[in-house]
Amino acid sequence: MKMKLAIIGLIIATTFFAPLTSTFARGDDFDAVVKAIEQFYHVKHQSLPLLARAGMKGARTVARVRGGDYKRLADAGSVRLVFFEDQEFNSHGRIAGFKASIQSTLNEAWSPLIATLSAKDEEQTYIYIRDAGAKFHVLVVTIERREATVVEATVAPDVLAMLMKDPNEMGKTLTDDAALNNNQEPIP
Amino acid sequence: MKTLFQTSLKFAAVMLLLLGGAAITAHAQGARLQIDQLDSLANRASETVDVKFDEHLMQTLPKLFGKDDEDIKEILKGLKGIYVKSFEFEKEGQYSPADVESVMSQLRGGGWSKIVGVRSKKDGDNVDVYLMMQGDQIEGLAVISAEPKEFTVVNIVGPVNLEKLTKLEGQFGVPDLGLDQPKPKKSKLVP
Repeated sequence: MKMKLAIIGLIIATTFFAPLTSTFARGDDFDAVVKAIEQFYHVKHQSLPLLARAGMKGARTVARVRGGDYKRLADAGSVRLVFFEDQEFNSHGRIAGFKASIQSTLNEAWSPLIATLSAKDEEQTYIYIRDAGAKFHVLVVTIERREATVVEATVAPDVLAMLMKDPNEMGKTLTDDAALNNNQEPIP
Repeated sequence: MKTLFQTSLKFAAVMLLLLGGAAITAHAQGARLQIDQLDSLANRASETVDVKFDEHLMQTLPKLFGKDDEDIKEILKGLKGIYVKSFEFEKEGQYSPADVESVMSQLRGGGWSKIVGVRSKKDGDNVDVYLMMQGDQIEGLAVISAEPKEFTVVNIVGPVNLEKLTKLEGQFGVPDLGLDQPKPKKSKLVP
């Protein structure tokens, strides 16, 4: 009897709490990446982005990339976005070290898709993808000399397929889309 | 005695399974080159591009493409990975022969055959294309392009169809591999 109860309890726990654990894990990865940036560059994120400015910039880019009218890329309410503005991002010749630190921060469920780095200009973009059932979680880290952005969004397969054909533009397109739509959950 | 025999049999079976599994994994990963050691070049490169479609991602790719992308689905079918590392430098000599050798050494033996080798004494460009064959089937492709100010490694793992591979060029971060198919000659019109 006790065994049966234990099994039933286990099934209930797995059914109801596993998605909850997954949600927390998602948050952990995003927060961990933000923390990794803060630790490596000795910077602090801001929770109130300058949406208007970024949005205007984003609308143009997204429309250009999609070659037509603007359409939201990420699922509504799925976007998490953090800005670092007007701070110095200087890797002191160790830009590859930062790449390794981001890689080790994320668990194996995230597939690294593309990383572009420019040591001279201190510019970096990292895109990671994680299967989320019928959809995909996409994590984009963009770093420039004086600013950085971390975006996590859920996108539909067809949107991801379109973005993946040009992975070099993917990070910018998604970040602009996230900045344009004020549906992000700011980190406190 | 019987117990000891049964235990030994079980142990042998488990060992066989483990060895079999290891052999299968080794074969599947045979065409995958170790190129992460090149990452430190990013500290000196003016531009670095690192594209990684790993096996896990390749399994999910068919979910992404619909009926309009049958061509791409067909090419990606069965592929286990696409890996590209490309470094551009401002000056010559910012990557060493040892960096190139760390990749080239993996291509000597181990089933790899060079199918194209281009050397330009004038420009210093070196491009090598290698294939890993399993019977009649291609199990992997590697392109090493070493120019004075640029170093690129492309590694495609899995059954590669060279005729269709050209369709991947310029997509998914795959650079132009110079694998264009010869265009059919135009037939002369007879009046």
